[in-house]
Amino acid sequence: MTLLAQLLLNALCNAATYSLLAIGFGLFYRSLRFFNIGFGAVYVVTSYAVITASQALGLPLFVSIPSGLIFAGLVSVLMDKLIFHPLDKHGSSSGVLLVASLGIYIAIINLIALIFGNEIKILSKGMEPSYSLGSLIITRIQIIQILVGWLTTILFWLAIRKNTLIKAIWAMGKVPELIRALGLPYNQMRAIVFFLSALFAGLASIATSFDVGFDPHVGMGALLTGAVAVIVGGVDIYWGWICGASLIAFLQAIGVWLFSAKWNELITFALLIITLLLRPHGIFSQKRRAEEK
Amino acid sequence: MTLSLNLVVGFGGLLSLCHAVFYGIGAYATTLLMLKAGFGFVTSVISAVLITGTFSLAIGVPALRFRGDPFVLVTLGFQTIIFTIMYNWIGLTRGPYGIPGIPRPSIAGYQITTLPEYLFLTYIFLVMVAIIIVVIYKSPFGMALKALRDDEMAAEGLGKSPFYFFLAAFVIAGMIASIAGSLYATYVTYIDPTSFTLDESIFLLVILLVGGAGNLKGPIVGTIFMILLPEALRFLGLPDTVAPNVRQILYGLVIVILMFFRPQGIAGEFKLK
Repeated sequence: MTLLAQLLLNALCNAATYSLLAIGFGLFYRSLRFFNIGFGAVYVVTSYAVITASQALGLPLFVSIPSGLIFAGLVSVLMDKLIFHPLDKHGSSSGVLLVASLGIYIAIINLIALIFGNEIKILSKGMEPSYSLGSLIITRIQIIQILVGWLTTILFWLAIRKNTLIKAIWAMGKVPELIRALGLPYNQMRAIVFFLSALFAGLASIATSFDVGFDPHVGMGALLTGAVAVIVGGVDIYWGWICGASLIAFLQAIGVWLFSAKWNELITFALLIITLLLRPHGIFSQKRRAEEK
Repeated sequence: MTLSLNLVVGFGGLLSLCHAVFYGIGAYATTLLMLKAGFGFVTSVISAVLITGTFSLAIGVPALRFRGDPFVLVTLGFQTIIFTIMYNWIGLTRGPYGIPGIPRPSIAGYQITTLPEYLFLTYIFLVMVAIIIVVIYKSPFGMALKALRDDEMAAEGLGKSPFYFFLAAFVIAGMIASIAGSLYATYVTYIDPTSFTLDESIFLLVILLVGGAGNLKGPIVGTIFMILLPEALRFLGLPDTVAPNVRQILYGLVIVILMFFRPQGIAGEFKLK
């Protein structure tokens, strides 16, 4: 019973991090309607930027973490300006954008592997201090994960409700032409979407990197977790993404309890396939008429 | 393998990311039948084809309810699921330890041992498969697939059922990939799951995107190009530690540039829609 409780506590932390991934992915998937594999690259870039800033340049963490995040944000915006936006203006379909994003992902992570090597690195040094909650154990980084994850989720939700520009970004996905017709700055909005998406990916990346470390290839797994969370929850529903992320974390915990951790990826994808078969719009979406799609 | 994936991607217009698992199931099925059940080479290959065909049917039925992005994700999902099973079901596949000691093929009593003999065998299979594929490409079936790819609703209006045509293409493609798997297993005499990963599926897809899909020349051009590219890069004289990464970087950039200037690939006729 204690094992299950411990696993569920870990699931709470994972859910926080997965929620960040889901928001990051959902931002561009909803607003710009294409599957951007470069998100995985941005995820990895953040951790490497932070480790360079803190270990190679010797900057303190409260400087290297924001620098890493901003750097990743800039990389993300650059990817859009150089690749996705031009292709989009060209009239390319989402399939072309997906393949192009795959290409840039491969190029970036191999560049990172070239510079930093393939071995696993970890941002923190030594053992993490841990605290006991009765018979359960939680480490300091897990507490940070929970706080950062859930706080950011709630803050962003408030931003969607209150801030006009973010509301416009939120609505962008439905009728992109209307943005220009209404005189809103489309190019800046695209840049904001990519920057914000990178920030969320980056936060998740840093949180995980402190906990279990990272290597150049972890981006794909992070991307896919975020993607499954968004699709399972429903592409258009913010809290759907969060529920999707939590569901993945929860099911993985049950999976570890019943079997072992090596089936985690299978559980994530089995959830995706079952959801797509039973409720293709996502668990929390409403069925739409064909014209509305 | 690219000729078969071409049926699904080029002719069907569907980006499938699970082709490597059909290759893998073919390899594992052949291996286990030859080692555990004592089947001969030819019997194993045929049985493996049927087993893989069943799997591709089982995957195709749910996957083909979708098109576009969800289809890619579902095939990616199955790729991951089956790979995870291959890697972790140690009782059946010995997982990461792999299965060594696979016997070389022996056809009608003639044992194939040397490399030239093996090359000859592979080319015989390639020619047989190529003939079957060309027949399919040019047949009414192939035409119907292309019609469905270009305008599904119109083709459906003419009476071509998308689901059955796509499913047939998917299953045939899987079965042919299985033959490649059988040849691979008996050539290297050792298999393990790392040959059948998502990266492999992506590589096959990239070959088709670079060389072109939807016709006969495309996959062949693509395969030759992608196999020769690393060899050509050898001439750059890069140190061994950086060469694989540089190769991958170039490979990624080639994909991006291709999407800008020639989304139909070098010799293809299918433009990614």
